[in-house]
Amino acid sequence: MIPHAPILAIVLPLFAAFLMPLVGLLSKRYNAAKACDWFAIAAMIGTLLLVADMAPSVWGGHILIYKLGGWSPPWGINLAIDGLSIQMALMIAALGTLVIIYSAGYMQRDTRKDLFYALTLLAITGMMGIVLTGDIFNFYVFLEIMSVSSYALIAFRRDSNAIEAGIKYLFIGSLGTSLILLSVAMLYSFVGSLNIADLGAKLATYRDGAQPVPAILIASLALFVTGVMIKVAMVPFHTWLADAFTAAPTAISALLAGPGAVVGIYWVARLPYLPFGLPVGIILISLGLLSMVVGVLMALTQRDFKRMLAYHVISQKGYMVLGIGLGTLGSVLGAQGGLFHLLNHSTYKCMLFMCAGAVLFRTGSQKFDELGGLGKNMPVTALTFLIGALAISGIPPLNGFVSKYTIYLGGIEAGLPIVTAIAVLVSALTFASFFKAFSSVFLGQRSERLRETQEAPKLMLFPMLMMAVICVAIGLLPALGFNIVGPAQSAAENSAGYISQVIGGI
Amino acid sequence: MVGWIWDPIVATAAILLGLLTAYGLLRIGHKIAKPRPTVEKMKTYACGEELKPEETHSDSEQFFSPIRRIFRPFYRYIQPVHTGVLSTYLLWAVVGFIIILAIILLTVR
Repeated sequence: MIPHAPILAIVLPLFAAFLMPLVGLLSKRYNAAKACDWFAIAAMIGTLLLVADMAPSVWGGHILIYKLGGWSPPWGINLAIDGLSIQMALMIAALGTLVIIYSAGYMQRDTRKDLFYALTLLAITGMMGIVLTGDIFNFYVFLEIMSVSSYALIAFRRDSNAIEAGIKYLFIGSLGTSLILLSVAMLYSFVGSLNIADLGAKLATYRDGAQPVPAILIASLALFVTGVMIKVAMVPFHTWLADAFTAAPTAISALLAGPGAVVGIYWVARLPYLPFGLPVGIILISLGLLSMVVGVLMALTQRDFKRMLAYHVISQKGYMVLGIGLGTLGSVLGAQGGLFHLLNHSTYKCMLFMCAGAVLFRTGSQKFDELGGLGKNMPVTALTFLIGALAISGIPPLNGFVSKYTIYLGGIEAGLPIVTAIAVLVSALTFASFFKAFSSVFLGQRSERLRETQEAPKLMLFPMLMMAVICVAIGLLPALGFNIVGPAQSAAENSAGYISQVIGGI
Repeated sequence: MVGWIWDPIVATAAILLGLLTAYGLLRIGHKIAKPRPTVEKMKTYACGEELKPEETHSDSEQFFSPIRRIFRPFYRYIQPVHTGVLSTYLLWAVVGFIIILAIILLTVR
């Protein structure tokens, strides 16, 4: 393994972000218009290689512990990378790389690319830090790095809609992070530690039911769950998402829908086991079901391409939260399905937003009623959108089918067939919604205004095609996904193993 | 892991075979009974009025109006409360927190 790979995976995009303004200045000085693009792409490929380098060791059963400054946990800050962390880190790095490549094409008409890439790389730094850290206060710090960068990125185009969406996300997102900070402060005052493994070890007596759970711990858990649910955008905390994803530059919508979704679900998967280990399954199942239904019904009536996709993000995250919630009731299939759905959804939702961006880039519109008949002009975009639409609707043999099917089985395994029935119904409504989207944008009569529309630039098509290939490959060979998700699910549930490897025993 | 319940290669082959069969039947059907529409039938019109391509585009909000009727309570009560007013949304978050706190109190104690 590359020495210091865990910290380098965070530091590399962080330093690249800080160097970006300098690269921007040099690119203007020497008239190298693409310098910022290539610098950002190189930084992300480097990050991906660092994360990929850690993966074999983690999948071999080890938890990588990186002690910052040589201080042992719980005294010092540490990074702890287990099967769950590595799945998330791989997804952030791989999808982040594809989003940056897409941005090189999508943002070519913008003049402040250095600022855009600096903020994007900072957001990716925050995401990477969230999934790699073993310290709960550092989780908060990285969450703020990601969130503040995201607020600025959403308002990047500075039109009235973007600024309103950015401010909404700022207020609601800040409420979420403030609740998490308050929860961390309560935990620290009660336990006297910020190390996640140490917290887990010291709270084990309450987990086992040996002692009654004190009020401060209940309040801390409620604050933490609410904060995480605001970030994940579960109903009724979902209100920031539709505006933000609609108004942001589409590359950023793709970033927040793909890698951005990862960080929230990472903590949803951790929550039932560490650091609290208290029962939250009923909350996860309830919020998951509510979000699935509300998200898809809201999506059905949207007239805006990106807004419709945004509501589907809420609905599909509901599946993941539901699956993880079923896992707390003893359904291994539910937990694996939830994490598998995260892997699949992040890929095809990123791709679907990229398709919407390609249409917006070429036509200047994201309104269904202003589009139509573009399948002839943009065949590759239409094909990739069709693959993504079928995948998200859970149609075999694509990847979305495998993860949704696993969640359906998880519902039955947990003794809740009604949950499976609702999940199947939501899938049918998802299909209906995407049928409308495909029909409105790519089929039907083409207006005179769209007659000369061209296919998206190759730099935008490349990541879309890559993701389409992943959707088909995982659908045909689901073992590829289960080989990543299996260790992640085992790691999430093995809190005793995590604690013993990080601090040497409970 | 899901091999015992779902073999994607076999299923994909079956789906492709089904699609090919359907396509073949369609072609054979077209050969046996060739469509011979009149000139009037080929025209896109409503009440005899000629329409421009953009006017034939179906309204995206009404695309699934039957579904809207089935889920009428949702579209009557839940959709309209998405007002876009920030203070209302912050109130939802506070109410959500109280519900979560109540559920945790009920399940933990």
